[in-house]
Amino acid sequence: MAAWARAVRGLLLDISGVLYDSGGEGGGVPIAGSAEAVRRIKASGLKLQFCTNETQATREKFVKKLQGLGFDISVAEVTAPAPAACRLLKERGLRPHLLVHDDLVPEFADIDKTNPNCVVIGDAAENFSYANLNEAFRVLIGLEKPVLISLGKGRYYKETDGLKLDVGAYMKALEYACDVEAEVVGKPAKAFFESALAEMGVPPEQAIMIGDDIVSDVGGAQQCGMRAVQVRTGKYRSGCSGAVQVPKEPNLSWDADSSAAGCIAAHTGSSEVALQGAVLEQAHVCARSKSRVSAAWG
Amino acid sequence: MEQLLREAVDAPSLEVFKARMAARRALKAVLVDLSGTLHVEDSAVPGAQEALKRLRGAPVTIRFVTNTTKECKKDLLERLTKLGFDIAEHEIFTSLTAARNLLEQKQVRPLLLVDEKALPDFTGIATDDPNAVVIGLAPEHFHYEMMNKAFRLILDGAPLIAIHKARYFKKKNGLALGPGPFVAGLEYATDIKATVVGKPEKTFFLEALRGTSCAPEEAVMIGDDCRDDVGGAQNAGMRGILVRTGKYRPADENKINPAPYLTCESFPEAVEHILEHLL
Repeated sequence: MAAWARAVRGLLLDISGVLYDSGGEGGGVPIAGSAEAVRRIKASGLKLQFCTNETQATREKFVKKLQGLGFDISVAEVTAPAPAACRLLKERGLRPHLLVHDDLVPEFADIDKTNPNCVVIGDAAENFSYANLNEAFRVLIGLEKPVLISLGKGRYYKETDGLKLDVGAYMKALEYACDVEAEVVGKPAKAFFESALAEMGVPPEQAIMIGDDIVSDVGGAQQCGMRAVQVRTGKYRSGCSGAVQVPKEPNLSWDADSSAAGCIAAHTGSSEVALQGAVLEQAHVCARSKSRVSAAWG
Repeated sequence: MEQLLREAVDAPSLEVFKARMAARRALKAVLVDLSGTLHVEDSAVPGAQEALKRLRGAPVTIRFVTNTTKECKKDLLERLTKLGFDIAEHEIFTSLTAARNLLEQKQVRPLLLVDEKALPDFTGIATDDPNAVVIGLAPEHFHYEMMNKAFRLILDGAPLIAIHKARYFKKKNGLALGPGPFVAGLEYATDIKATVVGKPEKTFFLEALRGTSCAPEEAVMIGDDCRDDVGGAQNAGMRGILVRTGKYRPADENKINPAPYLTCESFPEAVEHILEHLL
């Protein structure tokens, strides 16, 4: 049995780029086999929580879209940055100026937004105009101590019509302009993974994160004490793992023609032992050698 | 301890030593900043036109060098001519010229995110099917769709060239984002460093001398910006003269190490020094 797969009780699944590619008509296209894989994970008795940096829609709308694409998913199973940001704003008495997608605004309905004393930036997509960025910049530069809260810090993601800049690029733009460092709510922030784990009731050492982003998903989860699997779907580009700093190599990488969840679920019976067997079997076919996988885990 | 410190401070650094050695070589080229040095907004610095005439009487090549993202050479020339300066277009070298030279050197076709007014400086450069990205100050281009386009090109290997990386600038109705933040965002997303072409980059000063057959040690730069003009030029091996006009603020000359070769009241005084001591 592969040492690294011991005692897995729960999975955290990234959504965009792992379960589906967003964009286009209908809001996206499922990645082959992924809806079936989610069903199998659930049938196996493994705990499952979806851990996403999606900020282009409210959780309700997002879940509805995924259900429409054939996924077995509910709002309570989704950990997303906007609700986490709302908690943080309330705790600290912050009144945000929002630079977010129009469809995300309802998440902030209960938040006082008058006379703003911070800026919250999310993946605003078309709302990332010069005028809107400038407005956020002027709010920040006008504050005695600028507070910038970023919903994730991803560099880019893949939509059906190609790669798109993610919130991280615009977060950096404002950081550079105002000489501040943003507080990140969402992956790869440790607190965010911890809240997703708490929802599942599984400690980090018994959970695996599956995602397509080497920094936000793999690096973030590993820093939190979890193991992580990088899938070669979504934004994955060959050779990119080495370009950015993560604590260690992903624990496993899977090929695009079989989604990670599928790989696990395909071999999963109803017990943990079956999952471990599946991971071991899969380790033989993944690009990274078994010994390298073992080395990553000592 | 104090004695040791004093000695360390007094000891000429290698750069100062080099500058002193350079001072022994005859001067062949003078680089002159425009805004703040020859003129402040719409007024010429008193005596500057006359001083330029006197400098032209000496056996030196003159280049006018400036950071600009909006004004093409033709516009700059027009303004200076109106103020009574005797200047030819080929003597002007701007950050836009530097960007153009770099494009020609690399033989790439740029996606030009620059102000419409800057476009004449890129006449003749092919821009179809772009494989490079040039970023100036162009708010009308800094939107989601265009940023994605630039991002994809860079990710596919297109070089990212920045005219400069200013954070923001002042407009009549308040502060506005400069090109820097957009360059920084693209750098972050692609994990690629932009090539900045304007002052104070070393290559800017070396490029300005291209075609003059002068070595940096045979050139002096006159400007009102201690870091960008004087520091940049000295870093490229030239001498730097700081003038107390334009954006100069008291004690600016202490901002760089090694200190400016010379600090003087204005452009005419700098010219007098050159004519008396450097030829």
